[in-house]
Amino acid sequence: MRWYRHDEPHGRFIGSTGGMDIYAETYKESSRREIESTYTKTDQEFIFSYGPASGMLESSEIDLYTPGEIINHVDVGTDVRKRVIRIAQSDPLDALLKIERINGFHGASHAICFISAIEDAMDINPDGMMQYNRIVQLECERIRGNLLVIERMAQAAGFGVPVNQLAFLREKASRIIGRRGGHRYFFGVNSINSSCFNTDVIGKQMGAITEEFQDIFKGLLESKLFINRLQDNGVNNDKVSTGPAARASGLLHDARIDSRTLPYEDTEYSIVANTEKDAYGRFLVRAEEIQVSASIIKQLEKRCTNLRKSEYSLKDGEGMARVESPSGDLFYSVKILNGKIESLGYIPPSIRNIQSFRESMKGNIFTDFHFNWESYGIWTAEAGVVIQ
Amino acid sequence: MIKNLWFLRGLRKGIRTEKFPEENPVEIALWSTELIGEGNVECPVDAIVDGQWNFEKCIFCRKCTPSFAPKGNINIFRVRNNEPAFRKSFHLFPFDSGACGACNAELHNIASPQYDMTRFGIFFTNTPRHADAIVIMGVWTQGMKKALDLALDAMPGPKLVIALGSCASTGGIMGKGALENEKYDVIIGGCPPNPYTILSALEKARGD
Repeated sequence: MRWYRHDEPHGRFIGSTGGMDIYAETYKESSRREIESTYTKTDQEFIFSYGPASGMLESSEIDLYTPGEIINHVDVGTDVRKRVIRIAQSDPLDALLKIERINGFHGASHAICFISAIEDAMDINPDGMMQYNRIVQLECERIRGNLLVIERMAQAAGFGVPVNQLAFLREKASRIIGRRGGHRYFFGVNSINSSCFNTDVIGKQMGAITEEFQDIFKGLLESKLFINRLQDNGVNNDKVSTGPAARASGLLHDARIDSRTLPYEDTEYSIVANTEKDAYGRFLVRAEEIQVSASIIKQLEKRCTNLRKSEYSLKDGEGMARVESPSGDLFYSVKILNGKIESLGYIPPSIRNIQSFRESMKGNIFTDFHFNWESYGIWTAEAGVVIQ
Repeated sequence: MIKNLWFLRGLRKGIRTEKFPEENPVEIALWSTELIGEGNVECPVDAIVDGQWNFEKCIFCRKCTPSFAPKGNINIFRVRNNEPAFRKSFHLFPFDSGACGACNAELHNIASPQYDMTRFGIFFTNTPRHADAIVIMGVWTQGMKKALDLALDAMPGPKLVIALGSCASTGGIMGKGALENEKYDVIIGGCPPNPYTILSALEKARGD
Protein backbone atom coordinates (compact mmCIF):
# COMPACT_ATOMS: atom_id res chain seq x y z
CA MET A 1 0.00 0.00 0.00
CA ARG A 2 1.47 3.30 -1.09
CA TRP A 3 -0.78 5.75 0.67
CA TYR A 4 -1.95 4.08 3.87
CA ARG A 5 -0.23 2.19 6.68
CA HIS A 6 -1.51 -0.01 9.46
CA ASP A 7 -0.72 2.05 12.55
CA GLU A 8 -2.12 4.02 15.43
CA PRO A 9 -4.43 6.89 14.41
CA HIS A 10 -2.61 9.57 12.44
CA GLY A 11 -4.38 12.57 10.99
CA ARG A 12 -8.09 13.22 11.17
CA PHE A 13 -10.71 10.51 11.42
CA ILE A 14 -12.30 9.80 8.04
CA GLY A 15 -14.81 7.11 8.92
CA SER A 16 -15.29 3.45 9.53
CA THR A 17 -15.74 0.75 6.92
CA GLY A 18 -17.29 -1.51 9.52
CA GLY A 19 -14.14 -3.54 10.05
CA MET A 20 -11.58 -0.74 9.97
CA ASP A 21 -11.27 2.81 11.22
CA ILE A 22 -9.72 5.04 8.59
CA TYR A 23 -7.67 8.12 9.39
CA ALA A 24 -5.94 10.54 7.04
CA GLU A 25 -2.83 8.37 6.74
CA THR A 26 -3.42 5.24 8.78
CA TYR A 27 -5.95 2.51 9.43
CA LYS A 28 -6.56 0.12 12.26
CA GLU A 29 -9.09 -2.50 13.24
CA SER A 30 -12.31 -0.90 14.34
CA SER A 31 -13.87 -1.31 17.75
CA ARG A 32 -16.61 1.20 17.01
CA ARG A 33 -20.22 0.27 17.17
CA GLU A 34 -23.05 1.99 15.38
CA ILE A 35 -24.69 4.39 17.81
CA GLU A 36 -28.40 3.88 17.39
CA SER A 37 -30.79 6.73 18.00
CA THR A 38 -31.97 6.64 21.61
CA TYR A 39 -34.36 9.55 21.29
CA THR A 40 -37.83 8.94 22.70
CA LYS A 41 -40.78 10.98 21.55
CA THR A 42 -42.26 13.12 24.31
CA ASP A 43 -45.99 13.54 24.94
CA GLN A 44 -45.87 17.07 23.53
CA GLU A 45 -44.35 15.96 20.24
CA PHE A 46 -45.66 14.35 17.12
CA ILE A 47 -43.65 12.86 14.29
CA PHE A 48 -43.93 14.54 10.91
CA SER A 49 -42.84 11.96 8.35
CA TYR A 50 -41.47 13.20 5.06
CA GLY A 51 -40.97 10.74 2.20
CA PRO A 52 -39.88 8.24 1.11
CA ALA A 53 -41.43 9.30 -2.21
CA SER A 54 -41.60 13.08 -2.12
CA GLY A 55 -40.60 16.19 -4.00
CA MET A 56 -36.96 15.58 -3.21
CA LEU A 57 -34.52 14.49 -5.88
CA GLU A 58 -34.13 11.03 -4.33
CA SER A 59 -36.15 8.82 -2.02
CA SER A 60 -35.40 9.19 1.64
CA GLU A 61 -37.42 8.76 4.79
CA ILE A 62 -37.18 11.68 7.17
CA ASP A 63 -38.96 11.84 10.53
CA LEU A 64 -39.14 15.23 12.21
CA TYR A 65 -40.00 15.19 15.93
CA THR A 66 -41.78 18.41 16.77
CA PRO A 67 -44.28 19.88 19.22
CA GLY A 68 -45.59 22.06 16.39
CA GLU A 69 -42.88 24.27 14.98
CA ILE A 70 -39.45 23.77 16.48
CA ILE A 71 -37.67 20.56 15.47
CA ASN A 72 -36.35 18.65 18.49
CA HIS A 73 -35.00 15.58 16.72
CA VAL A 74 -34.58 14.20 13.19
CA ASP A 75 -34.23 10.66 11.92
CA VAL A 76 -33.05 10.08 8.35
CA GLY A 77 -33.70 6.60 7.01
CA THR A 78 -31.67 5.46 4.03
CA ASP A 79 -32.48 1.77 4.50
CA VAL A 80 -35.83 2.32 2.84
CA ARG A 81 -34.16 2.27 -0.58
CA LYS A 82 -31.29 0.02 0.38
CA ARG A 83 -29.55 -1.59 -2.57
CA VAL A 84 -27.50 -4.73 -2.06
CA ILE A 85 -24.52 -4.69 -4.43
CA ARG A 86 -22.58 -7.90 -4.91
CA ILE A 87 -18.91 -7.27 -5.59
CA ALA A 88 -17.06 -10.13 -3.88
CA GLN A 89 -15.39 -12.60 -6.25
CA SER A 90 -15.92 -10.22 -9.18
CA ASP A 91 -13.32 -9.25 -11.70
CA PRO A 92 -12.24 -5.65 -10.84
CA LEU A 93 -13.47 -4.29 -14.16
CA ASP A 94 -16.86 -5.98 -13.80
CA ALA A 95 -17.09 -4.55 -10.28
CA LEU A 96 -16.33 -1.09 -11.68
CA LEU A 97 -19.64 -1.14 -13.60
CA LYS A 98 -21.48 -1.37 -10.28
CA ILE A 99 -19.22 1.04 -8.42
CA GLU A 100 -19.90 3.76 -11.02
CA ARG A 101 -23.59 3.32 -10.29
CA ILE A 102 -23.44 3.59 -6.49
CA ASN A 103 -23.84 7.34 -6.89
CA GLY A 104 -24.27 8.11 -10.57
CA PHE A 105 -24.19 11.86 -10.06
CA HIS A 106 -20.72 11.49 -8.56
CA GLY A 107 -19.74 8.68 -10.93
CA ALA A 108 -16.24 10.04 -11.59
CA SER A 109 -15.40 10.27 -7.88
CA HIS A 110 -16.50 6.72 -7.20
CA ALA A 111 -14.85 5.26 -10.30
CA ILE A 112 -11.55 7.09 -9.81
CA CYS A 113 -11.35 6.30 -6.10
CA PHE A 114 -12.13 2.61 -6.65
CA ILE A 115 -9.69 2.33 -9.58
CA SER A 116 -6.98 4.07 -7.54
CA ALA A 117 -7.46 1.50 -4.76
CA ILE A 118 -7.23 -1.32 -7.34
CA GLU A 119 -4.06 0.19 -8.81
CA ASP A 120 -2.62 0.49 -5.31
CA ALA A 121 -3.35 -3.18 -4.71
CA MET A 122 -1.81 -4.22 -8.04
CA ASP A 123 1.24 -1.93 -7.74
CA ILE A 124 0.26 -0.01 -10.84
CA ASN A 125 1.61 3.53 -10.98
CA PRO A 126 -0.36 5.69 -13.40
CA ASP A 127 1.77 8.46 -14.84
CA GLY A 128 1.26 12.15 -14.14
CA MET A 129 -0.87 12.71 -17.22
CA MET A 130 -3.34 10.05 -16.16
CA GLN A 131 -3.52 11.47 -12.65
CA TYR A 132 -4.02 15.03 -13.93
CA ASN A 133 -6.73 13.78 -16.26
CA ARG A 134 -8.51 12.28 -13.26
CA ILE A 135 -8.22 15.52 -11.31
CA VAL A 136 -9.78 17.42 -14.22
CA GLN A 137 -12.70 14.98 -14.22
CA LEU A 138 -13.20 15.35 -10.47
CA GLU A 139 -13.15 19.12 -10.66
CA CYS A 140 -15.66 19.12 -13.55
CA GLU A 141 -17.86 16.92 -11.41
CA ARG A 142 -17.42 19.29 -8.46
CA ILE A 143 -18.49 22.30 -10.53
CA ARG A 144 -21.63 20.50 -11.70
CA GLY A 145 -22.35 19.13 -8.23
CA ASN A 146 -22.02 22.53 -6.58
CA LEU A 147 -24.26 24.09 -9.22
CA LEU A 148 -26.93 21.51 -8.38
CA VAL A 149 -26.69 22.13 -4.63
CA ILE A 150 -27.04 25.90 -5.08
CA GLU A 151 -29.87 25.38 -7.58
CA ARG A 152 -31.74 23.21 -5.07
CA MET A 153 -31.23 25.82 -2.34
CA ALA A 154 -32.65 28.53 -4.61
CA GLN A 155 -35.52 26.20 -5.47
CA ALA A 156 -36.38 25.89 -1.79
CA ALA A 157 -36.77 29.67 -1.78
CA GLY A 158 -39.00 29.52 -4.87
CA PHE A 159 -36.57 31.61 -6.90
CA GLY A 160 -37.57 30.58 -10.41
CA VAL A 161 -35.11 32.71 -12.40
CA PRO A 162 -31.88 31.70 -10.64
CA VAL A 163 -33.09 28.09 -10.50
CA ASN A 164 -33.47 28.04 -14.27
CA GLN A 165 -30.25 29.91 -14.88
CA LEU A 166 -28.36 27.45 -12.68
CA ALA A 167 -30.07 24.50 -14.37
CA PHE A 168 -28.98 25.93 -17.71
CA LEU A 169 -25.34 26.04 -16.56
CA ARG A 170 -25.54 22.56 -15.05
CA GLU A 171 -26.87 21.17 -18.32
CA LYS A 172 -24.08 22.99 -20.15
CA ALA A 173 -21.54 21.32 -17.84
CA SER A 174 -23.14 17.92 -18.47
CA ARG A 175 -22.82 18.45 -22.21
CA ILE A 176 -19.16 19.38 -21.93
CA ILE A 177 -18.55 16.23 -19.91
CA GLY A 178 -20.60 14.11 -22.32
CA ARG A 179 -18.75 15.48 -25.34
CA ARG A 180 -15.37 14.61 -23.86
CA GLY A 181 -16.02 11.17 -22.49
CA GLY A 182 -19.09 10.01 -24.40
CA HIS A 183 -21.14 9.85 -21.22
CA ARG A 184 -22.63 12.66 -19.14
CA TYR A 185 -21.96 10.89 -15.83
CA PHE A 186 -18.51 9.47 -16.62
CA PHE A 187 -19.77 5.87 -16.91
CA GLY A 188 -17.30 3.84 -18.95
CA VAL A 189 -14.81 6.72 -19.09
CA ASN A 190 -12.29 5.39 -16.57
CA SER A 191 -10.57 2.07 -16.26
CA ILE A 192 -7.43 0.64 -14.71
CA ASN A 193 -4.55 2.92 -15.75
CA SER A 194 -6.76 4.33 -18.47
CA SER A 195 -9.14 7.16 -19.28
CA CYS A 196 -10.84 8.31 -22.49
CA PHE A 197 -11.69 11.78 -21.17
CA ASN A 198 -10.49 14.42 -23.62
CA THR A 199 -9.39 17.57 -21.79
CA ASP A 200 -8.50 19.69 -24.82
CA VAL A 201 -9.62 23.32 -24.22
CA ILE A 202 -11.91 22.21 -21.43
CA GLY A 203 -10.57 25.00 -19.21
CA LYS A 204 -12.06 27.66 -21.46
CA GLN A 205 -15.44 25.94 -21.59
CA MET A 206 -15.75 25.32 -17.86
CA GLY A 207 -14.37 28.82 -17.30
CA ALA A 208 -17.27 30.28 -19.31
CA ILE A 209 -19.70 28.46 -17.04
CA THR A 210 -18.07 29.78 -13.90
CA GLU A 211 -18.03 33.30 -15.32
CA GLU A 212 -21.75 33.20 -15.96
CA PHE A 213 -22.28 31.67 -12.54
CA GLN A 214 -20.63 34.70 -10.92
CA ASP A 215 -23.49 36.91 -12.06
CA ILE A 216 -26.07 34.56 -10.53
CA PHE A 217 -24.02 34.26 -7.34
CA LYS A 218 -23.84 38.03 -7.07
CA GLY A 219 -27.60 38.28 -7.50
CA LEU A 220 -28.23 35.68 -4.81
CA LEU A 221 -25.86 37.47 -2.43
CA GLU A 222 -27.83 40.68 -2.94
CA SER A 223 -31.09 38.96 -2.10
CA LYS A 224 -31.89 39.49 1.57
CA LEU A 225 -34.86 37.13 1.25
CA PHE A 226 -32.56 34.29 0.20
CA ILE A 227 -29.74 35.03 2.62
CA ASN A 228 -32.13 35.33 5.58
CA ARG A 229 -33.36 31.81 4.96
CA LEU A 230 -29.82 30.47 5.14
CA GLN A 231 -28.23 32.43 7.97
CA ASP A 232 -28.32 30.69 11.36
CA ASN A 233 -30.06 27.77 9.66
CA GLY A 234 -28.45 24.40 10.40
CA VAL A 235 -25.40 25.43 12.40
CA ASN A 236 -22.91 22.58 12.02
CA ASN A 237 -20.65 21.90 15.02
CA ASP A 238 -19.72 18.36 14.01
CA LYS A 239 -15.93 18.17 14.45
CA VAL A 240 -15.57 15.18 12.12
CA SER A 241 -17.80 16.49 9.37
CA THR A 242 -16.61 16.29 5.80
CA GLY A 243 -16.58 18.20 2.53
CA PRO A 244 -18.03 21.67 2.06
CA ALA A 245 -20.04 21.26 5.29
CA ALA A 246 -16.78 20.91 7.25
CA ARG A 247 -15.05 23.73 5.42
CA ALA A 248 -18.01 26.03 6.05
CA SER A 249 -17.46 25.34 9.76
CA GLY A 250 -13.83 26.37 9.63
CA LEU A 251 -12.42 22.84 9.42
CA LEU A 252 -9.84 22.30 6.67
CA HIS A 253 -11.08 18.79 5.95
CA ASP A 254 -10.36 18.11 2.32
CA ALA A 255 -8.88 15.02 0.69
CA ARG A 256 -7.21 17.30 -1.83
CA ILE A 257 -4.80 18.41 0.90
CA ASP A 258 -4.41 15.33 3.08
CA SER A 259 -4.81 12.40 0.68
CA ARG A 260 -1.91 11.41 -1.54
CA THR A 261 -4.05 9.44 -3.98
CA LEU A 262 -4.02 12.26 -6.54
CA PRO A 263 -1.22 14.85 -7.04
CA TYR A 264 -3.14 18.02 -6.20
CA GLU A 265 0.11 19.45 -4.83
CA ASP A 266 1.22 19.97 -8.45
CA THR A 267 -1.39 22.69 -8.84
CA GLU A 268 -1.83 26.08 -7.23
CA TYR A 269 -5.11 26.44 -5.45
CA SER A 270 -6.47 27.42 -2.08
CA ILE A 271 -9.03 25.58 0.00
CA VAL A 272 -12.15 27.65 0.52
CA ALA A 273 -13.27 27.78 4.14
CA ASN A 274 -15.18 30.10 6.43
CA THR A 275 -16.57 30.08 9.92
CA GLU A 276 -20.24 30.79 9.29
CA LYS A 277 -21.10 27.13 10.10
CA ASP A 278 -24.67 27.49 8.78
CA ALA A 279 -26.42 26.89 5.45
CA TYR A 280 -25.21 30.31 4.31
CA GLY A 281 -21.62 29.26 4.97
CA ARG A 282 -22.12 26.07 2.97
CA PHE A 283 -23.62 28.10 0.13
CA LEU A 284 -20.60 30.43 0.12
CA VAL A 285 -18.09 27.57 0.17
CA ARG A 286 -19.85 25.74 -2.67
CA ALA A 287 -20.02 28.91 -4.77
CA GLU A 288 -16.39 29.87 -4.25
CA GLU A 289 -15.21 26.30 -4.86
CA ILE A 290 -16.61 26.52 -8.36
CA GLN A 291 -13.97 29.18 -9.10
CA VAL A 292 -11.22 27.10 -7.51
CA SER A 293 -12.19 24.03 -9.53
CA ALA A 294 -12.20 26.03 -12.76
CA SER A 295 -8.71 27.30 -11.94
CA ILE A 296 -7.41 23.75 -11.30
CA ILE A 297 -8.90 22.55 -14.60
CA LYS A 298 -7.26 25.42 -16.47
CA GLN A 299 -3.87 24.63 -14.96
CA LEU A 300 -4.03 20.94 -15.85
CA GLU A 301 -5.88 20.78 -19.19
CA LYS A 302 -2.72 20.90 -21.28
CA ARG A 303 -0.82 18.53 -19.03
CA CYS A 304 -2.99 15.51 -19.71
CA THR A 305 -3.84 15.49 -23.38
CA ASN A 306 -1.70 12.60 -24.64
CA LEU A 307 -2.75 9.67 -22.53
CA ARG A 308 -0.84 6.47 -23.11
CA LYS A 309 -2.56 3.19 -23.80
CA SER A 310 -3.24 1.17 -20.68
CA GLU A 311 -0.79 -1.58 -19.90
CA TYR A 312 -0.79 -3.55 -16.68
CA SER A 313 -0.58 -7.04 -15.34
CA LEU A 314 -2.89 -8.64 -12.80
CA LYS A 315 -1.47 -8.97 -9.32
CA ASP A 316 -2.89 -9.81 -5.91
CA GLY A 317 -2.66 -7.34 -3.04
CA GLU A 318 -4.42 -4.82 -0.88
CA GLY A 319 -5.00 -1.18 -1.71
CA MET A 320 -6.67 1.92 -0.35
CA ALA A 321 -7.53 5.29 -1.87
CA ARG A 322 -9.36 8.45 -0.90
CA VAL A 323 -10.55 11.34 -3.06
CA GLU A 324 -12.53 14.50 -2.38
CA SER A 325 -15.93 13.99 -3.99
CA PRO A 326 -18.22 17.04 -4.28
CA SER A 327 -19.78 16.01 -0.95
CA GLY A 328 -16.54 15.21 0.90
CA ASP A 329 -14.19 12.32 1.67
CA LEU A 330 -14.80 9.19 -0.35
CA PHE A 331 -12.75 6.13 0.55
CA TYR A 332 -12.34 2.65 -0.96
CA SER A 333 -10.23 -0.29 0.16
CA VAL A 334 -9.88 -3.51 -1.82
CA LYS A 335 -8.24 -6.86 -1.36
CA ILE A 336 -7.51 -8.79 -4.56
CA LEU A 337 -6.89 -12.51 -4.54
CA ASN A 338 -6.41 -14.64 -7.67
CA GLY A 339 -7.41 -11.68 -9.81
CA LYS A 340 -10.80 -11.32 -8.10
CA ILE A 341 -12.01 -8.93 -5.45
CA GLU A 342 -11.84 -10.75 -2.14
CA SER A 343 -13.21 -7.92 -0.02
CA LEU A 344 -14.11 -4.26 -0.35
CA GLY A 345 -14.39 -1.45 2.20
CA TYR A 346 -16.24 1.78 1.49
CA ILE A 347 -16.87 5.11 3.22
CA PRO A 348 -19.15 7.56 1.39
CA PRO A 349 -19.36 11.20 2.51
CA SER A 350 -23.16 11.20 2.67
CA ILE A 351 -23.25 8.99 5.78
CA ARG A 352 -21.25 11.58 7.74
CA ASN A 353 -23.18 14.45 6.15
CA ILE A 354 -26.46 12.87 7.28
CA GLN A 355 -25.13 12.78 10.85
CA SER A 356 -24.07 16.42 10.64
CA PHE A 357 -27.43 17.39 9.14
CA ARG A 358 -29.39 15.63 11.88
CA GLU A 359 -27.50 17.42 14.64
CA SER A 360 -27.67 20.78 12.88
CA MET A 361 -31.43 20.55 12.43
CA LYS A 362 -32.18 20.51 16.15
CA GLY A 363 -33.71 23.76 17.31
CA ASN A 364 -34.61 24.87 13.79
CA ILE A 365 -38.15 25.20 12.50
CA PHE A 366 -39.86 23.15 9.82
CA THR A 367 -39.54 25.76 7.07
CA ASP A 368 -35.75 25.69 7.54
CA PHE A 369 -35.66 22.03 6.66
CA HIS A 370 -35.36 22.16 2.85
CA PHE A 371 -32.67 24.82 2.82
CA ASN A 372 -30.63 22.96 5.39
CA TRP A 373 -31.04 19.54 3.76
CA GLU A 374 -30.07 20.78 0.32
CA SER A 375 -27.08 22.72 1.67
CA TYR A 376 -25.36 19.44 2.64
CA GLY A 377 -25.57 17.96 -0.88
CA ILE A 378 -26.50 14.56 0.54
CA TRP A 379 -27.01 11.61 -1.83
CA THR A 380 -28.99 8.83 -0.17
CA ALA A 381 -28.04 6.58 -3.11
CA GLU A 382 -24.49 6.28 -1.78
CA ALA A 383 -25.53 6.13 1.88
CA GLY A 384 -28.13 3.42 1.34
CA VAL A 385 -26.03 0.65 -0.19
CA VAL A 386 -24.78 -2.60 1.23
CA ILE A 387 -21.72 -3.95 -0.55
CA GLN A 388 -21.23 -7.69 -0.33
CA MET B 1 -33.16 51.98 -7.06
CA ILE B 2 -34.15 48.36 -7.55
CA LYS B 3 -30.83 46.58 -7.61
CA ASN B 4 -31.83 43.00 -7.84
CA LEU B 5 -34.86 42.26 -9.97
CA TRP B 6 -34.66 38.63 -11.03
CA PHE B 7 -37.33 39.16 -13.67
CA LEU B 8 -35.07 41.61 -15.52
CA ARG B 9 -32.07 39.36 -15.03
CA GLY B 10 -34.08 36.59 -16.68
CA LEU B 11 -35.14 38.78 -19.60
CA ARG B 12 -31.57 39.87 -20.18
CA LYS B 13 -30.57 36.29 -21.00
CA GLY B 14 -33.18 36.00 -23.74
CA ILE B 15 -34.71 32.73 -24.95
CA ARG B 16 -32.40 29.81 -24.31
CA THR B 17 -34.75 26.98 -25.18
CA GLU B 18 -33.81 24.83 -28.16
CA LYS B 19 -36.07 24.04 -31.10
CA PHE B 20 -36.19 20.31 -30.44
CA PRO B 21 -38.14 18.33 -31.66
CA GLU B 22 -38.69 20.51 -34.76
CA GLU B 23 -34.92 20.59 -35.12
CA ASN B 24 -32.35 17.91 -34.33
CA PRO B 25 -30.82 17.64 -30.85
CA VAL B 26 -28.11 20.25 -30.35
CA GLU B 27 -25.76 17.95 -28.50
CA ILE B 28 -25.97 14.40 -27.25
CA ALA B 29 -23.55 12.16 -25.44
CA LEU B 30 -23.18 9.23 -27.82
CA TRP B 31 -23.24 6.51 -25.16
CA SER B 32 -26.92 7.07 -24.53
CA THR B 33 -28.03 6.38 -28.10
CA GLU B 34 -28.78 3.34 -30.23
CA LEU B 35 -25.97 0.82 -30.61
CA ILE B 36 -25.43 -0.66 -34.03
CA GLY B 37 -23.14 -3.51 -34.91
CA GLU B 38 -22.89 -7.19 -35.51
CA GLY B 39 -21.36 -10.33 -34.14
CA ASN B 40 -21.36 -12.03 -30.80
CA VAL B 41 -19.91 -10.12 -27.91
CA GLU B 42 -19.64 -10.72 -24.21
CA CYS B 43 -22.25 -8.47 -22.63
CA PRO B 44 -22.46 -8.31 -18.81
CA VAL B 45 -26.23 -7.76 -18.89
CA ASP B 46 -27.11 -9.91 -21.96
CA ALA B 47 -28.19 -6.84 -23.88
CA ILE B 48 -26.61 -8.32 -27.00
CA VAL B 49 -27.62 -11.87 -27.81
CA ASP B 50 -27.05 -13.43 -31.24
CA GLY B 51 -26.01 -10.05 -32.58
CA GLN B 52 -29.29 -8.42 -31.55
CA TRP B 53 -29.17 -5.35 -29.32
CA ASN B 54 -31.84 -4.88 -26.61
CA PHE B 55 -32.06 -1.27 -25.45
CA GLU B 56 -34.07 -2.19 -22.36
CA LYS B 57 -31.15 -4.11 -20.89
CA CYS B 58 -28.20 -2.09 -22.16
CA ILE B 59 -26.13 -0.14 -19.60
CA PHE B 60 -23.87 1.36 -22.30
CA CYS B 61 -20.73 0.04 -20.61
CA ARG B 62 -18.74 -0.13 -23.89
CA LYS B 63 -17.64 -3.72 -23.40
CA CYS B 64 -19.08 -4.52 -26.82
CA THR B 65 -16.79 -2.13 -28.68
CA PRO B 66 -15.61 -2.20 -31.44
CA SER B 67 -18.22 -4.73 -32.66
CA PHE B 68 -21.01 -2.35 -31.61
CA ALA B 69 -20.96 1.43 -31.51
CA PRO B 70 -23.45 4.24 -30.83
CA LYS B 71 -24.72 6.07 -33.88
CA GLY B 72 -26.64 8.98 -32.35
CA ASN B 73 -30.25 7.78 -32.71
CA ILE B 74 -32.04 8.99 -29.58
CA ASN B 75 -35.27 7.09 -30.20
CA ILE B 76 -34.60 4.19 -27.86
CA PHE B 77 -37.94 3.75 -26.14
CA ARG B 78 -41.03 1.58 -26.42
CA VAL B 79 -44.61 2.82 -26.02
CA ARG B 80 -46.97 -0.10 -25.37
CA ASN B 81 -49.96 2.04 -24.44
CA ASN B 82 -50.45 5.74 -25.02
CA GLU B 83 -53.03 8.10 -23.58
CA PRO B 84 -54.24 10.99 -25.78
CA ALA B 85 -56.14 12.51 -22.81
CA PHE B 86 -52.79 13.90 -21.63
CA ARG B 87 -52.09 15.85 -24.83
CA LYS B 88 -52.63 19.29 -23.28
CA SER B 89 -51.42 18.62 -19.78
CA PHE B 90 -49.25 15.77 -18.58
CA HIS B 91 -48.32 15.58 -14.90
CA LEU B 92 -45.48 13.26 -13.92
CA PHE B 93 -44.81 11.80 -10.49
CA PRO B 94 -41.09 10.86 -10.24
CA PHE B 95 -40.55 7.73 -8.17
CA ASP B 96 -37.08 6.64 -7.08
CA SER B 97 -37.30 2.96 -6.27
CA GLY B 98 -33.54 2.46 -5.89
CA ALA B 99 -31.72 4.62 -8.42
CA CYS B 100 -28.10 5.78 -8.45
CA GLY B 101 -29.10 9.40 -8.95
CA ALA B 102 -28.20 9.69 -12.64
CA CYS B 103 -31.75 8.92 -13.88
CA ASN B 104 -33.08 11.32 -11.23
CA ALA B 105 -30.79 14.06 -12.54
CA GLU B 106 -31.65 13.46 -16.20
CA LEU B 107 -35.39 13.52 -15.51
CA HIS B 108 -34.85 16.73 -13.54
CA ASN B 109 -32.95 18.11 -16.56
CA ILE B 110 -35.96 18.13 -18.89
CA ALA B 111 -37.11 21.13 -16.86
CA SER B 112 -33.92 23.05 -17.65
CA PRO B 113 -34.19 25.95 -20.13
CA GLN B 114 -32.50 24.00 -22.96
CA TYR B 115 -35.41 21.51 -23.02
CA ASP B 116 -38.19 23.34 -21.12
CA MET B 117 -40.75 20.56 -20.71
CA THR B 118 -43.48 23.08 -19.84
CA ARG B 119 -43.71 24.20 -23.49
CA PHE B 120 -45.09 20.70 -24.17
CA GLY B 121 -47.50 20.94 -21.23
CA ILE B 122 -45.41 18.52 -19.16
CA PHE B 123 -45.10 19.16 -15.41
CA PHE B 124 -43.84 17.43 -12.27
CA THR B 125 -46.11 16.81 -9.33
CA ASN B 126 -45.15 15.80 -5.81
CA THR B 127 -48.15 13.61 -5.24
CA PRO B 128 -49.51 10.56 -7.08
CA ARG B 129 -53.04 11.92 -6.53
CA HIS B 130 -52.35 14.63 -9.12
CA ALA B 131 -50.31 12.44 -11.46
CA ASP B 132 -51.12 11.26 -14.97
CA ALA B 133 -48.02 9.11 -15.09
CA ILE B 134 -45.56 7.66 -12.63
CA VAL B 135 -41.94 7.68 -13.79
CA ILE B 136 -40.11 4.87 -12.03
CA MET B 137 -36.33 5.02 -11.67
CA GLY B 138 -33.96 2.45 -10.19
CA VAL B 139 -34.05 -1.18 -9.25
CA TRP B 140 -36.55 -3.00 -7.06
CA THR B 141 -35.89 -2.51 -3.36
CA GLN B 142 -37.78 -4.10 -0.50
CA GLY B 143 -38.23 -0.83 1.38
CA MET B 144 -39.80 1.04 -1.52
CA LYS B 145 -42.21 -1.73 -2.51
CA LYS B 146 -45.00 -0.52 -0.23
CA ALA B 147 -44.57 3.11 -1.30
CA LEU B 148 -44.67 2.06 -4.96
CA ASP B 149 -47.84 -0.01 -4.49
CA LEU B 150 -49.49 2.86 -2.61
CA ALA B 151 -48.49 5.37 -5.28
CA LEU B 152 -49.86 3.19 -8.08
CA ASP B 153 -53.14 2.76 -6.16
CA ALA B 154 -53.40 6.46 -5.37
CA MET B 155 -53.15 7.56 -9.00
CA PRO B 156 -56.45 8.36 -10.70
CA GLY B 157 -57.18 6.80 -14.09
CA PRO B 158 -56.37 7.01 -16.89
CA LYS B 159 -52.72 6.64 -15.95
CA LEU B 160 -49.42 5.56 -17.44
CA VAL B 161 -46.58 3.65 -15.82
CA ILE B 162 -43.19 4.61 -17.23
CA ALA B 163 -39.82 2.91 -16.69
CA LEU B 164 -36.91 5.33 -16.92
CA GLY B 165 -33.61 3.60 -17.59
CA SER B 166 -32.36 0.06 -17.62
CA CYS B 167 -32.52 -0.44 -13.82
CA ALA B 168 -36.25 0.23 -13.66
CA SER B 169 -37.11 -1.84 -16.73
CA THR B 170 -34.84 -4.88 -16.40
CA GLY B 171 -32.61 -4.30 -13.36
CA GLY B 172 -29.60 -3.38 -15.50
CA ILE B 173 -26.48 -4.52 -13.69
CA MET B 174 -27.65 -3.51 -10.22
CA GLY B 175 -30.53 -5.87 -9.44
CA LYS B 176 -33.98 -6.57 -10.78
CA GLY B 177 -36.51 -4.24 -12.37
CA ALA B 178 -38.68 -2.12 -10.08
CA LEU B 179 -41.81 -3.73 -11.59
CA GLU B 180 -42.39 -6.72 -13.85
CA ASN B 181 -41.49 -5.51 -17.34
CA GLU B 182 -44.98 -6.14 -18.77
CA LYS B 183 -46.53 -3.73 -16.24
CA TYR B 184 -44.91 -0.74 -17.91
CA ASP B 185 -46.81 1.22 -20.54
CA VAL B 186 -43.65 3.02 -21.62
CA ILE B 187 -40.01 1.92 -21.37
CA ILE B 188 -37.25 4.46 -21.90
CA GLY B 189 -33.80 3.06 -22.58
CA GLY B 190 -30.51 4.43 -21.29
CA CYS B 191 -28.20 4.34 -18.32
CA PRO B 192 -29.31 7.00 -17.75
CA PRO B 193 -31.56 8.02 -20.68
CA ASN B 194 -30.61 11.38 -22.14
CA PRO B 195 -33.12 14.25 -21.83
CA TYR B 196 -33.91 14.27 -25.57
CA THR B 197 -34.90 10.61 -25.39
CA ILE B 198 -37.06 11.25 -22.32
CA LEU B 199 -38.90 14.13 -24.00
CA SER B 200 -39.45 12.15 -27.20
CA ALA B 201 -40.81 9.19 -25.25
CA LEU B 202 -43.15 11.40 -23.21
CA GLU B 203 -44.48 12.98 -26.39
CA LYS B 204 -45.22 9.56 -27.88
CA ALA B 205 -46.73 8.38 -24.59
CA ARG B 206 -49.60 10.77 -25.09
CA GLY B 207 -50.10 9.82 -28.69
CA ASP B 208 -48.34 12.76 -30.38
